[in-house]
Amino acid sequence: MEKDEKNVGKIMKKETTRRGFLKGAGTAAGVAVAAAAVGGVRPAAAKAAEAKPKPVMKYLFAERQNCTGCRACEYACSMFHEGVVRPSVARVHVIKYKGIVDVPVICHHCTDAPCIEACPTDPKSIQKDPNTNGIILNPDICLGAKCLKCKDACPAEFIRVHPDSGQPIMCDLCGGDPECVKACELQATNPLAPCLMAGASGFGVNQAFRDVTPDEAAEDLIKNFYYPNEDGGRR
Amino acid sequence: MAAPKGGYFGKILEIDLTNQKFKARKLSDEECRKYIGGAGMGAYLLYNDLKAKHDPLAADSGIFIGPGPLNGTYCVSTRISFVNKSPYTGLLSHAEVGGHFPNEVKWAGWDGIYIKGKSKKPVALFIKDDEVQFMDASDIWGKDTFETEEMMLEKVKDPLARVATIGPAGENEVPYACVMVERFRAAARTSTGALMGNKKLKAIAVRGTKAVPVVDDKKAYEAMVAAKQLAVDKEAWQGIKRWGTGGLLELKHYGTGSLITKNFQTTWWPDIIELGAEEANRKFWKKHTACNHCPVHCMKTGVIRGGKYDGLIAEGPEYETGGLLGSNLGFSNFDDMMACIELTDALGLDSISTGGCLAFAMECVQRGVLTPKDLDGINLEFGNGDASVEMIRKIAYQEGAGKLLAKGVKKMSEEIGKDSYKWAVHVKGKEVAAHDPRGDKARAFSYALGTCGGDHHEGTSAETLARWTMINSLTMCSFVGGYPWGKETPGVFIAMLNPLCGWNMTDEEYWTTSKRIMTLERCFQVREGVRAKDDTLPWRLKNEKLPEGPKKDAVFPEEEVKKMQKDVFDYFGWDDNGIPTDDTLKNLGLDYTIKDMQAARKA
Repeated sequence: MEKDEKNVGKIMKKETTRRGFLKGAGTAAGVAVAAAAVGGVRPAAAKAAEAKPKPVMKYLFAERQNCTGCRACEYACSMFHEGVVRPSVARVHVIKYKGIVDVPVICHHCTDAPCIEACPTDPKSIQKDPNTNGIILNPDICLGAKCLKCKDACPAEFIRVHPDSGQPIMCDLCGGDPECVKACELQATNPLAPCLMAGASGFGVNQAFRDVTPDEAAEDLIKNFYYPNEDGGRR
Repeated sequence: MAAPKGGYFGKILEIDLTNQKFKARKLSDEECRKYIGGAGMGAYLLYNDLKAKHDPLAADSGIFIGPGPLNGTYCVSTRISFVNKSPYTGLLSHAEVGGHFPNEVKWAGWDGIYIKGKSKKPVALFIKDDEVQFMDASDIWGKDTFETEEMMLEKVKDPLARVATIGPAGENEVPYACVMVERFRAAARTSTGALMGNKKLKAIAVRGTKAVPVVDDKKAYEAMVAAKQLAVDKEAWQGIKRWGTGGLLELKHYGTGSLITKNFQTTWWPDIIELGAEEANRKFWKKHTACNHCPVHCMKTGVIRGGKYDGLIAEGPEYETGGLLGSNLGFSNFDDMMACIELTDALGLDSISTGGCLAFAMECVQRGVLTPKDLDGINLEFGNGDASVEMIRKIAYQEGAGKLLAKGVKKMSEEIGKDSYKWAVHVKGKEVAAHDPRGDKARAFSYALGTCGGDHHEGTSAETLARWTMINSLTMCSFVGGYPWGKETPGVFIAMLNPLCGWNMTDEEYWTTSKRIMTLERCFQVREGVRAKDDTLPWRLKNEKLPEGPKKDAVFPEEEVKKMQKDVFDYFGWDDNGIPTDDTLKNLGLDYTIKDMQAARKA
């Protein structure tokens, strides 16, 4: 156990450094600041962290009926994690069904985490960050394309594969202050409330929601919104 | 020929349907900077690839589907242009459409798709990044646009792919058939649907996984966040968020007096309360939907409960669809209007032209020029929903009387003769959108002097024609990029473009570029024979006063048309006949058009 925690710390540290190295100082945190306060100056990452500690949000929620399918969450996610707009590598993603409903697919950060359970490596190449509840991937030990047991294990069908590396894409909750939630807040105005939300407590809701696949969610939404004819077709 | 540094991938996907082959056509930074993309790039490619009077249905007459530099970046709500020589009007036409299809094209690594050739058998395209698959489409040929999209998504096995399709109307080459993107969004007014049907191209599915190269990440991102905030905050858009453009139906009736009614006979239609946003909100709308990254979510979908159309899921009414297929047909019944809108979407018909043609035929019936006998026994009179639904179906399948209506207002009027020119409302052979220029005079610029004719998205004065040309080439949404009206143009665009593409564009260059694109489009039309006499409004709008409503007695006299022409010709540097002068062409770097323009001047 002790060893495990040590490992997590090591991996996390590594993750942070790697990202910092890739994006250049300040990019990652700067994105967060700029999204919140438009046109603001971007302070260096360290300073921003000192000035205002990030709230720690441990769970994501999606109010599916509020989703307009604008995919601003995907933009914000890939911008934060990759430094570019590239929805194909965004963690959160939105699937449109029949052109009439949009299903946001999120990581529910479930307590039992079937993805971590399924991970065959030792030590596990995916771990939960004990502070933020984010799922963190260690790309050095992940077996990538030849394994993907986590992808199959995810009951929400959230996990996608990175088109370049072949490794699964995991939601780390942006270190406790999810960008997608902030982006959604900005999009959802009159008369809609935001679709994505984050909270420090899961209330067990996330655990219940995660068993719904996107296909099932779409079916529910279509029924709720449109009550189609019995055979599901148009008249 | 330097490759573009950012904002573009520097290559266009050229597809040859005859031989089922594809290749990349390189674009230089200079070409990108001169013609930007979308409508501008399309005009550039088509002007050089087509000869004067080229047969639009020839195999080598292409369709250009082009995004702009801002597509696929953090910039909000970008669209895509469908540009081609229209078989309907014989002129260069472009249509902009939103949704997620535009950005997928860009993320697949292409600055445009240029489709040429003709397939013998029905074919569908699946473009995934650098791969292009030519798929057999015999099984989806004949299906409506909704089913086609569903079946395409199954075929490509990728729920995140985005699909553009044609419906039965396109297959049967109805001249005003459109391309439907993601079920409800239409790239219409260009006849692209008929052209795709002619090429036997049923659908295009696209999925991209790349990222657009950006020269200065930080600056571009900051500028795009600031631009987005304009769209989020803009006061005027709060209503659009709530009511969509359907909210304009009531506004144009009570306020501006420009809601077209009964084929432009009046602009006063009190029954609009049965058709407008308020009614839709009360009993129809269920969900708001947005295009990519858009904070305005103007699209509303809903379902009809009860009555003969029980269970019908449709999108709208938007201003244009609700005007043309609602008040213009004299409807007072919401369900009838929605059934017509849904049917035009499903069959892949341009709802503006369809509404225009139906209303023209209805007025012919009203005046006794046409009788139900001429129309297969269908009693096509104003307000008859069932007759309209039946006729729309006949148009799409070119059956019986549908063949007559499928010809469009101009040709119908020529065939019918008599006084029908007086109520044939078209500009350059294309039906006019839902704003009556007698009530909303500024719209006349777009209708009469816009490139395509009868179009509502091309500007409201000489200067905004230039602004909108750029909007259509940058492929921004006219609403969210709603900067066209604001004091922010062109600053907001330059701030995004320069760090994105590594340019040093100034305000002056921005305006020169927009004038260059507008003038090039004009050169194309002049080469096809368009002159000042064609830049006009229909007889009815110039001679008949509005009988009632807030703009009672308003008319758009010939003098005002002449003044409008002079404004525009002077602004862009064209001569009195609307032909760009040699000096203008030299200054804009359009030397290759000079010869054609000189020939046109002599003719």
